[in-house]
Amino acid sequence: MSEVISKPELNNVDLEPLLIEEINNDFNLIEKSATNFDPRYILRVFRELGPLRRKLTSEALYKAIDAKYPNDHPNKAYLLDNVRYENGSMEIDEGDRDKDNDVEMQGDQEILPELDIFTHLLVQIYLHDQNDLKKLNQLNKKVVIALKSYNRRTLDFIASKVWFYIARTNELLNKLVPIRSELLLALRTATLRHDNETRASTITLLLRNYLLTNDISQASNLVEKTEFPTTVSNSLVARYYYYLARITAIQLNYSDAHEFAISAIRKSPQSKFSTGFLQSATKLNIVVELLMGDIPELSTFRDPLLEQSLVPYLAVTKAVRLGDLNLFSSTLDKYSATLKKDDNYNLVLRLRQNVIKTGIRILSLSYSKISLRDICIKLHLDSELSAEYIVAKAIRDGVLDAEINHEEGFMQSKELLDVYSTKEPQEIYDARIKFCMSLHNDSVKAMRYPMNNNRINLKNDLESKEREQDLLNYLQDGSDFDFI
Amino acid sequence: MALTSAAPFLALLGEPDDSLKSFALKSLNDVVDELWAEIANSITEIEELYEDDSFTDRQLAALVASKVYYNLGDYDSSVKYSLCSGDKFNIDDKNEFVETIVSKCINRYIELSQQKFSNNEVVIDAQLSLIFEKMLEKCVYANELKLALGISLESYRIDIVEKIIKEHLDNEELAINLINYVLTCSTTVISHTQFRTSVLNSLVLILLSLNSPDYFIISKIIVQLNDYKLAHRIFTKLLKNDLVLITFQVAFDLVNSASQELLDKTIEILSKDESFKANEKNLSKLTKILSGVPTCDLDITFLYKNNNTDITILNKSKNALDGRNSIFHSAITFENAFMHAGTTDDSFFRSNLEWLGKATNWSKFSATAALGVIHKGNLSEGRTLLQPYLPGSNSGSAFTRGGSLYALGLIYAGHGREVIDYLRHHVVENSGGAGTNDSSENQELDVILHGACLGVGVAGMGLGSQEIYEELKTVLYADSAISGEAAALAMGLVMLRSGDETCINDMLTYSLETQHENIQRGLAIGIALLNYGREEQAEPIIEKMIGHQNSILRYGACYALALAYCGTGNNSAIQRLLHIAVSDSSDNVRRASVMALGFILLRDFTTVPTIVELLSESHNPHVRYGTAMALGISCAGRGLPAAVEVLEPLTKDPVDFVRQGALIAMSMILIQQNEKTFPKVDEIKKNLAAVISNKNQDALAKFGAALSQGIIDAGGRNVTIQLENLQTGTLNMTAIVGLTMFSQFWYWFPLTHFLALSFSPTSIIGIREDLKIPKFKINCHTKPDLYGYPPKVEEAKEKSPDKVATAVLSTTARAKARAKKAQKAKQEEKDNMDIDERTPEPQLQQSGGEVKTGESKEKTPEDLPNAVEEPKGEPSFQTNYTKKPYQIDNMTRVMPDQLKYISFIKGERYVPVRKFRGGSGIVVLKDEKPGEPDEFIKTVRQMFFNEAPVPEPFTLEDSETEEEQ
Repeated sequence: MSEVISKPELNNVDLEPLLIEEINNDFNLIEKSATNFDPRYILRVFRELGPLRRKLTSEALYKAIDAKYPNDHPNKAYLLDNVRYENGSMEIDEGDRDKDNDVEMQGDQEILPELDIFTHLLVQIYLHDQNDLKKLNQLNKKVVIALKSYNRRTLDFIASKVWFYIARTNELLNKLVPIRSELLLALRTATLRHDNETRASTITLLLRNYLLTNDISQASNLVEKTEFPTTVSNSLVARYYYYLARITAIQLNYSDAHEFAISAIRKSPQSKFSTGFLQSATKLNIVVELLMGDIPELSTFRDPLLEQSLVPYLAVTKAVRLGDLNLFSSTLDKYSATLKKDDNYNLVLRLRQNVIKTGIRILSLSYSKISLRDICIKLHLDSELSAEYIVAKAIRDGVLDAEINHEEGFMQSKELLDVYSTKEPQEIYDARIKFCMSLHNDSVKAMRYPMNNNRINLKNDLESKEREQDLLNYLQDGSDFDFI
Repeated sequence: MALTSAAPFLALLGEPDDSLKSFALKSLNDVVDELWAEIANSITEIEELYEDDSFTDRQLAALVASKVYYNLGDYDSSVKYSLCSGDKFNIDDKNEFVETIVSKCINRYIELSQQKFSNNEVVIDAQLSLIFEKMLEKCVYANELKLALGISLESYRIDIVEKIIKEHLDNEELAINLINYVLTCSTTVISHTQFRTSVLNSLVLILLSLNSPDYFIISKIIVQLNDYKLAHRIFTKLLKNDLVLITFQVAFDLVNSASQELLDKTIEILSKDESFKANEKNLSKLTKILSGVPTCDLDITFLYKNNNTDITILNKSKNALDGRNSIFHSAITFENAFMHAGTTDDSFFRSNLEWLGKATNWSKFSATAALGVIHKGNLSEGRTLLQPYLPGSNSGSAFTRGGSLYALGLIYAGHGREVIDYLRHHVVENSGGAGTNDSSENQELDVILHGACLGVGVAGMGLGSQEIYEELKTVLYADSAISGEAAALAMGLVMLRSGDETCINDMLTYSLETQHENIQRGLAIGIALLNYGREEQAEPIIEKMIGHQNSILRYGACYALALAYCGTGNNSAIQRLLHIAVSDSSDNVRRASVMALGFILLRDFTTVPTIVELLSESHNPHVRYGTAMALGISCAGRGLPAAVEVLEPLTKDPVDFVRQGALIAMSMILIQQNEKTFPKVDEIKKNLAAVISNKNQDALAKFGAALSQGIIDAGGRNVTIQLENLQTGTLNMTAIVGLTMFSQFWYWFPLTHFLALSFSPTSIIGIREDLKIPKFKINCHTKPDLYGYPPKVEEAKEKSPDKVATAVLSTTARAKARAKKAQKAKQEEKDNMDIDERTPEPQLQQSGGEVKTGESKEKTPEDLPNAVEEPKGEPSFQTNYTKKPYQIDNMTRVMPDQLKYISFIKGERYVPVRKFRGGSGIVVLKDEKPGEPDEFIKTVRQMFFNEAPVPEPFTLEDSETEEEQ
């Protein structure tokens, strides 16, 4: 999956107080979430994390952490070390800091675990964006220790993100295998604690890890043996489906892969931050569709967000659609680099068969009965035998609705039945009703009722309404925060 | 470098050579945490290896399988294989796998062990027991004794409980501590009655084996077990060791919390015992205490001495409610009864004879019975007082006579020995007349019988006497709606918590036969009473009733559930009740089921507001009423702000009886609170007065408000409703029964009086060995005004004349009003003065008067604002604790919340024989300087014998006859 990483912009000094305030605001929201046991506030913080991340500076982080943490907090020193900035005004800052501390110290006595881990996360993100992998790796070790020391359900969302960055660091450092045991352990712990968010996150991370090292069988083992929690944020589900699609596609199970890919695309958040994911998923989907013998619709390639990145795939599709092997080979040569980068080269190579299959399909549409020999000639195949083999495979894959007459050597298409006389419409109708019902049920479950209006006096009521509305606005566009 | 595939090892598993397989397993064991997903594919092979008896490392195979299953999330299988892996599974390892498996093991063990307790065929895996016991050992080793005890209690392993306690007997303090812990656990957590009994029995044995047994804990156990033989054994031991004071304290404790049946049987067995010859004097004192008479005397003396009723409130209500209307008359009767409950102050009746004369029929019955409430516990004088009204005194109507029999019962509630025979005599004598409704004489008999039956029920509560039961049955079988209902209720009361099957069958059968709904209802409640506290043993009858097509039986089933699982918080009971509350077709049943929730959640009263919150917004007013009462019952006397919050909207409900219920519930919750402990209380009291005087309010709501006024200031403000005995942690059965019967006032007003049974006096009464009450001081470490009596509503008196004047509309009244206006001007001057130094002074006088004035003046300015800013609800310990205590007298009001600030003064002459731990009630004192003269407080009994002449019977009849003429 492509991470859209933008370098932090150069900051004005004027922006700094604003930034610190923003961080502190997040701190407050997280504290609120922890004290109210309501994870929605954390989700809200994460939504804002994207813009914040682009602005993050070491100065702001340093000051915010310094102000928040009491001096004797064990985690403070190394957190500050990681964001220490070199600056002429250091001395003055020290003085300020003491003063600030004196004021703050009276207010805050304790750092909530949620806050602690969130601070770690901020530092992680900062170091990651600075590409300071060595420091980040060291920090990760400490984060893991800190995470293990807490067991609170309000931590789940933060923890799942923290694990993401830990895995990401190791990926960048190319230490894919060693991190596995840590991730598995985290997965186990999360399962035991019914921490669905972290569970989902670690499962996707593990899958990604296996896929990167091409341990497909391990990945599929993991998928078989674990149950992916259903009640987690959409972005995680989308990712999970994407990896599933990949695994099943590689394992030749195209129809499932297609379904997964479609789910991944549907589940993916519709925001600009998730374009990368959407691109990857669409690419995979196109390839899988082609492998199934379908031709994707042209409109897929016209999506302004995707158009650019899909050019190679459009070319491949054209080749397949025409059933022209020569065109296919030349396209492959032309775009091999891009395809390899997308990890789809191997899959596209498999399309060679499909080019032929498409040819057959076109034939089957044109001729209700055609001899294998003619197929051979039309598709430039070597022998009747291979034609028979290819046709048989196509029939098995459901590309064709036909029979082969082996004795007389021809392919006979079945007459098109009236679908409405079969059970199919009924089944599809049933599936759609089910989908609608579950959608309805889910929406009902997700509804939040206003707090008891008997007891809240008007002022509180207005305030809480405002808050609810706020949250609603945030939640309505889905939880897009995860694809920053 | 970690392996990325387990394939090589898995391949080895297929080799024929055992050593290769073993090697493979060992290697797999090392990597299983990372590669479990892959190994899981070959799990059958590993399982086969385990099942192969000839294979040497089969335990290792089991361990690997267990780990794989653990990672797969199949914890049951994982536990199964880890149990098979024997020593390979090391419970001392510290990792998630071991922790999880061990905790699952313990859970499973507890489950199996609980099953085994009732069914011996259940087999528990030896390895499972081993792990369980090992973990317990570890627990004990780490000195987590309570944890170990708790777990072994939960798994019904009494042997381990005994072992742990016995191992720590050398440290007596610790042992006692542990025993206490086990005791609390077994009374609150263990739901299996049989096991609880065996735990308590074994605890007694351990306690008795101690060098200096803690007899007070034993007394708690006696109450729990309801075992008179044990009581006998303890008293024998105590008297033999010449621990007289302790004996008395234990006896008082028993009286406070044990059933009448237990006390009676104990007295019986003690008096038969020959071994006490040498100790005759103490024995007779002991039996006297056990008879409950001294306790009763002390309580009534306390209530009499400290009576702080605000008669203004009552008068105002009386003026606002027209006495000619029987509902209003009853309302004032009840308000008066509750306000003066136990204080022996019946002056209100005496000064309002005209009003009293307006009582007709059943309101006359209630009015007479109110005397019983007012004189409740006045054992020495009760009979004499009622003499003029009792049958045979040839005066008055049947209603007075019936009411007086009921009153007699109320006076001797729980101490029925002296009057029960008299009451029974009336039941037997009149039973012939019941049921034949043809003549007016028979109707009169019916009323008297009604009173006599109720009286027998109250006085003989929990006696479990078959004879009385049979006599009542005769009345019941006469099938009269009036006396039959009372008889049915009385049957339930007499056979309280016996669970007697023949009785239950009798009653159930008859309830199906009779045509009278009243009798059916009485029987249904009676059956419920029989099943008090019987938990799962009551299930068969509950099942039978709960599914019955007759809604009255279902109504009874709700009460049976409520009483059987009273205070247990039993989940299945709650579920059933909630289901009924939203689904039953009968409003009455739904109302009862919600109320029943209140009984079941007595102990977890803080959860009730959240549970019933939604129900309080039900469209069905009966459910809303039930909600209100449920809150009132469960939070009675607790002053829980959350409960009041839920009730507040209900007090403005559009339906009249919901308002009634809400007001009553509110007053039950806020009983005895003042504006310091609960700032809203003033506002609520004002609201009560407003409801009563508001012309537009419905009669039912006014009735409720009047009752509430009575309850909130009950017993001269010296009583509270305490359903849980805080010292012993046992439930206060009498109080609960009182509430149950009280809740029946929906159908039958005279039953309202039963609430008096729920009132318990709030004081510390110190007495000497000779049962005399010395005058001495006790320290109270808080601000004096915090727990003071609420100020009397003097201002109200001044404002009201206008209203009274308009209501009376006579020239004399106007003249009076003018006079009063003049007075008002004067009063206002006074008022201004009062305001200046209002708070502490009056309370100081009441609460001892001993506080140095200097000190109080010093405090006043700082305290006032503090007190006002106090957060509502229960004041926390830190905020109200003052180092410098003020002093209160022996036998004065100490509110339950206040107890934690109380301490006995060091070096005083009197020291409590038991270390004072904030318990209220009677405290037996050790006299450090015996022989010195001392002053004593006289009990009511003594006063009546010596000074006070028997008060004149007031002329209820006269005024009535006048009117008739």
